[in-house]
Amino acid sequence: MHICCGLTGHLELARRPDLYGTPVIVGRWDEHVVAASEETLPFGVMPGMALRQAEHLCPQATFVLPDEEATARIRELVSAALYDLAPVVEVREEGIAWLDISGVATAGQSIRAARHRLSKAIGREPRLGLAPGPFSARLAASRARPGRLLRVADAREFLAPLPSRELPLNSEQLERLDLLGLRTLGAVATIGPRELESQLGRDGRRAALLARGLEPDQLVPWLPPLFTSAHRQFGDPVEDREALLFVARALCGDLAEELGLRGAGAKHVRVRLLFESSGDEKRESVVRHPLSSVAELFGLIGSWIKEWQPRAPITELWIELPVLEAAGRRQLRLWAGGDGTSEEVIAAMERIQERFGDAVVHRPKPAFVSSPIPSERFA
Amino acid sequence: MQAQNLQLDGAIDAIRLRFGSHALTRAAELPPPQPWPSGTPLDSLTGIGGLPRGRLSLLTGSGTCGKLSLALALLAHATHEFAHATVIDGGGFDPWNLLPFYPELSALTVVRAPAPEIAGESAAALARAGAGFILLMSEVPEHWLGPLESGANRSGTVLVGVVDAPGRALAHASSFSLALSRTEWVWERGQLVGIRVTARCSKNRVAPPLGETALEIRYPLGARPASDHLVHIVESRVDVQEVAPCISAVV
Repeated sequence: MHICCGLTGHLELARRPDLYGTPVIVGRWDEHVVAASEETLPFGVMPGMALRQAEHLCPQATFVLPDEEATARIRELVSAALYDLAPVVEVREEGIAWLDISGVATAGQSIRAARHRLSKAIGREPRLGLAPGPFSARLAASRARPGRLLRVADAREFLAPLPSRELPLNSEQLERLDLLGLRTLGAVATIGPRELESQLGRDGRRAALLARGLEPDQLVPWLPPLFTSAHRQFGDPVEDREALLFVARALCGDLAEELGLRGAGAKHVRVRLLFESSGDEKRESVVRHPLSSVAELFGLIGSWIKEWQPRAPITELWIELPVLEAAGRRQLRLWAGGDGTSEEVIAAMERIQERFGDAVVHRPKPAFVSSPIPSERFA
Repeated sequence: MQAQNLQLDGAIDAIRLRFGSHALTRAAELPPPQPWPSGTPLDSLTGIGGLPRGRLSLLTGSGTCGKLSLALALLAHATHEFAHATVIDGGGFDPWNLLPFYPELSALTVVRAPAPEIAGESAAALARAGAGFILLMSEVPEHWLGPLESGANRSGTVLVGVVDAPGRALAHASSFSLALSRTEWVWERGQLVGIRVTARCSKNRVAPPLGETALEIRYPLGARPASDHLVHIVESRVDVQEVAPCISAVV
């Protein structure tokens, strides 16, 4: 297993790139600190402490209210940006991005691209670590300089001198480790998992394995979002095609904006018209190349509406995108260079057919080549 | 001649002084595009040993001058070399005409584009997707030339256009233009068997120098075995002019 880890700082901080370089504390009044910028560390501010205490320690910091929804959206964007660089990608709101690049033919390129895309998405250079597992990769990244990669060949050797407080244990468990004299991961690694389990419970067993570089944790792969839709209910039933096209374009705009925020594209498009009299009509199509922009969505949906002959006035228009995938991102090209290109050319041809009709793209196959009638020569 | 060269150098220095050192670059100093060896006499004319990948090459000439035969020879060769060789056909392309060039039909796709807008959009989409070879036999609207160029440049698609006389936009977009003109018909035993043409490089932004060659194109005749049904394009004379190094303005 080869895991590349990129550390960017908490994603709550990425909401305010204008405050980079200044002390920032994210949290709600009377609650705990959710995230704190590196500039607050010298004052002793740590995530998890009471916000009042943090304010007392670092009064000059800018205090920002957390926005879980915006942070989740940034997480989605970062995940979508990294999706085609490795078969398994996990991004956490703490600002940790893991890429499992085992078996990737062009691992170096993936790491370079990950650095570039993280830097573009977050607005500052990530620290990068490459190690046999997620835990050691994260620790390696935390010790790298911004924009640089720290490579770890032997996880156990790398982890041995590091302090044991790096282990994912609560404060009580860490204090207990300290009392036992296990102050480095190397010291923890000398204790058997069973022995540590008897002292700290199940977490102790996991901690012993982590300290030995055995990496018991697996990454949770990010998967592109699956479904979205937009609809408009008309006050008075609509018969005018132009009005329908106008509304469809607006809905496509809304959907494109949402897809853009989620870094996704539509693989399946469905349009439903609901009529004044009961019943509905629908049209749907699977597209090979994910559609994500207004022009792409409206190009397809507009062409349907232009030739649609609804049987009654329309009361409601639904545009549904039942299958989404990361826009413009495929993992296929990870395995062999250039294999994705052929698929993209075929997808481009299918899109041309969707836009202008099946007859536009023709692959000639010899039928009666010697026929005097030109149309019979090729199928 | 020496005085002219001095004047030219003076003008170049003035432009560089006023607009910066990157305003003017000698074509020989530009990074050369990757060539695709087409196996035709065109390779010696481009100066890089093949047609430039990611650039638009134009075959021009009025009337019967062999441009289509040359383009079909390139297309047939491309069907063996690339997974996707595409023809953007504005009307009039018949795959039957390609058979004498012994193509690999499984790699050939024809996009019938009744309107220039469709041709432009299709060509740009295919170039962006990375089709190996695109033969443009249709007009492309000016606003599609930019996406077409940038798409091809990114994917390394070999773009070849066949036109009688290119418009200003198309001529400007091309990196290599070859002007063909018929010099004479070739007759044998009272039967027309081919043409002789002069192929002159009228624009070359990929490498100096400009040059000229004479080609003889033999048409397939009579009932022959399939293996003989090849159009022969014979290079009878190559005359590469040693002109002054080509200068390309980079704006």
